[in-house]
Amino acid sequence: MAAVSEDTWTKVSTEATTEFVKTYYPALGSNRQSLGSYYSLEPTTILFNGNGVVDGAAVQEIFMNQMSPAHYEVQSYDCQIINRAYPTRLPNGELKPKSEMGVKDMSLLVVVSGFVRYGEGRDQPQRGFSETFVLIPNPSAERARGRKDWLIQSQNFRLVV
Amino acid sequence: MKTSKSRRGGIRKRGPTRTDRDGDMDMDAGGSRAAKRGRTEKSGLGGRIAGAGVGGRAAGTGGRVAARDKHLDLIQRAISSVDPQANIRQNNRKPPSELEQFSVRGWKSSKAASNRDGGVESLIAFLERRMNSFIKSGPRAKITKSRVEGDTLVVFVRPDLAGHMLRINNNTFAGAQVTVEAYTAANALDRELAAVDTTPGSTADTKTKMTTILGKRFFPQTKLLDLSKLGEDPDLHAMGIFESVSRESKFFPALMKVWEQGFKTAAEQREAVESVSLAENKLTSIAPVTTLAQSFAHIKYLDLSKNNIKNGQAMFGWRWKFRDLIFLDMTGNEFCSDPNFKDTMLKWYPKLQTLNNVQVRTPEEVAAQRKTPIPVLPPHFVDSSQIGENFVRSFFPAYDTDRNGLVASVYDEESTVSLNVNTTAPKASQAETAGWGEYIRKSRNLDKISHLSARMSRSYTGTEQIRELFNALPPTSHPDIIAKAEQWLIECHPVSNLPDPTGQSPYGVGGLSLMVHGQLEESVGGKVETRSFDRTFILGPGKAPGSIRVISEIFCLRAYGGHEAWSPEIQAMSQDSSPAAVAAPGPVPTAAPAAPIPPTVPTAAATPAVASTYGLPEPGKSEAQLQQEVLVTQMSARSGMTFEYSQMALSGNGWDAELAWKNFEQLKASGALPPTAFLAPA
Repeated sequence: MAAVSEDTWTKVSTEATTEFVKTYYPALGSNRQSLGSYYSLEPTTILFNGNGVVDGAAVQEIFMNQMSPAHYEVQSYDCQIINRAYPTRLPNGELKPKSEMGVKDMSLLVVVSGFVRYGEGRDQPQRGFSETFVLIPNPSAERARGRKDWLIQSQNFRLVV
Repeated sequence: MKTSKSRRGGIRKRGPTRTDRDGDMDMDAGGSRAAKRGRTEKSGLGGRIAGAGVGGRAAGTGGRVAARDKHLDLIQRAISSVDPQANIRQNNRKPPSELEQFSVRGWKSSKAASNRDGGVESLIAFLERRMNSFIKSGPRAKITKSRVEGDTLVVFVRPDLAGHMLRINNNTFAGAQVTVEAYTAANALDRELAAVDTTPGSTADTKTKMTTILGKRFFPQTKLLDLSKLGEDPDLHAMGIFESVSRESKFFPALMKVWEQGFKTAAEQREAVESVSLAENKLTSIAPVTTLAQSFAHIKYLDLSKNNIKNGQAMFGWRWKFRDLIFLDMTGNEFCSDPNFKDTMLKWYPKLQTLNNVQVRTPEEVAAQRKTPIPVLPPHFVDSSQIGENFVRSFFPAYDTDRNGLVASVYDEESTVSLNVNTTAPKASQAETAGWGEYIRKSRNLDKISHLSARMSRSYTGTEQIRELFNALPPTSHPDIIAKAEQWLIECHPVSNLPDPTGQSPYGVGGLSLMVHGQLEESVGGKVETRSFDRTFILGPGKAPGSIRVISEIFCLRAYGGHEAWSPEIQAMSQDSSPAAVAAPGPVPTAAPAAPIPPTVPTAAATPAVASTYGLPEPGKSEAQLQQEVLVTQMSARSGMTFEYSQMALSGNGWDAELAWKNFEQLKASGALPPTAFLAPA
């Protein structure tokens, strides 16, 4: 893997995080049929207020069919690179060789602070939340439009106010 | 909306206009008050009589009524004279943290005082001119902000100008010598006390008198502060509070400050009072008493009955205050006839259940508001060899006391840390936020910090940088993880594919993701500030065998948001309700989450301490009070209810033990008594 400058690490990680945050939270509110696409096919832990959810498809199902309308507002967020060379398992079962890895093979820690209003209308109370994600590189080789470079490996949502 | 008779009101506080006694309990201010003051009205008949009698107009003689009304007019002037300066002061209680405040006095007797603005503008120009004359180089002196408090001009300047400001002390401004001093809350109180004092220079005496007045009006057992009918208070008259408008306008804020000074901690102050009565004060607006909302942010019962509040505008300043209010009595105010009155009050006070003695929300409806579509469950804590637990137990005490040691022990050259401040986060009721100081300069909120160079410089890698970061942050104190377990929410789950410090495993190594939500205290300018935080750690094996390290850490700070969001009540309530998210198939953690924290029973701590002489004769205790205390102890022993609720039951039933007992049985049978009404099982 070619040497990557520190600027690039920061640029790519923070931009990936921004892209994720700016699309995922609107999707929780109004594009719930897309939620499944944000998740790794083999997520490790998905938690909402301590409730475990098995995978992205289940998250999508819950938000589409069981959740009241909700409006999420992100107020502060940040990220750190966890692993600069995340071991991605390719569809053939092999590990992606280091020689083929680039800057986008990093895994990320993303922490978001904001509020959610459940129900319709702006006068619903604002509930503060804190949410932690681990994002991992998308192992899929497809180059379709809208392909996400990073997917949710683990997630922990908590109302905190 | 449920209005079933059996639930109507539940535990209620007496409204003075209420005449029925249909079995409701009353948290009676009037009855006990009347008794304790040894009034002539028969106190045993409780609030109904007291409500009519204490007002006095129906029963009193003509002369008494006239005199009392005159006093009421005085108090109305006293607390209704809206002093714009006082209000400005209150609004500006939180100056920008970087600026320093100085008080300037003596200018009122200058020639400039006859200027249209009282000479303020030329005084400020004078101060700036003088400071600039001391400055050899660098930025010009500027008074960034100022306000007038009576005969004091309070100015805000950069800290580097502090020395220059003090040098102006005793200089002559337009023919008058001016005094310049550092402005502190303490000397502000002294000045306020001096302003309400009849004899200048005896502020300590004023404070004592105010303390005495508060003592007479504070009923610790019922957690009631009775500030009704201040105009009839002979002590206030003796102090001459009503003899000048300026003294009157200072009185209430000063009283609040004296109150606050009586408590060592905010928590203690919060615990002391649940109910405040401001009834019968001829208030036309809340403006003169607005500081009440700061000193008594957490009260549950507020009596504003029999005032002259005409509309919502007159109460607008309390729109976001008193977030815990469950009872509000506004009867006898014109505002009540406003068609939007009820809706407005419901909107302003989300926990309000009883408005003007009528139930407007059930406890269930209040709870439902906070219910989330996703039930709130206890922490998910799936640890590995107690690594997460041990980490949390040692991390926060070390962060408070030995950051260098902490950095050396759990961070290494590859650890990365950043922090961000959510400056707009929702907060707990009334939480005020001190400036974010050093935090904001280091905040890497990516929503705000968009330049790559800043994003790089605000991320800290390796022990050296992390140590510098931690040492630049204010000293903190975190609550004890065991003793104050309810203030923490700590979750933990495994993560895989972390970087292997030895570089041996191609798949990387496993570790933990640890998410900690809680609060910390720090001392800001001599005042203790409580902030909330969310701190996420990715923990993995360190280079040394058996060691662990922080691979990544993100520390988010926000205004104090309490811990109610994850509190047991909400858990219980949510679990009872039909679950939404839990219906989904989920990898329910197989092992019972090994919570690192034993559950605590917060009710024990919340039980107010009862004076050891309660129910026993002691000097100064009236016979009537002693009798009541004995009844309360008997009622408590018989019913299992707390003293507080026993007293409510008795006072609401005219101190008739049998009526109170029947009332208790009815309410208990209908489930109207909250669990907090009862003493915790021993």
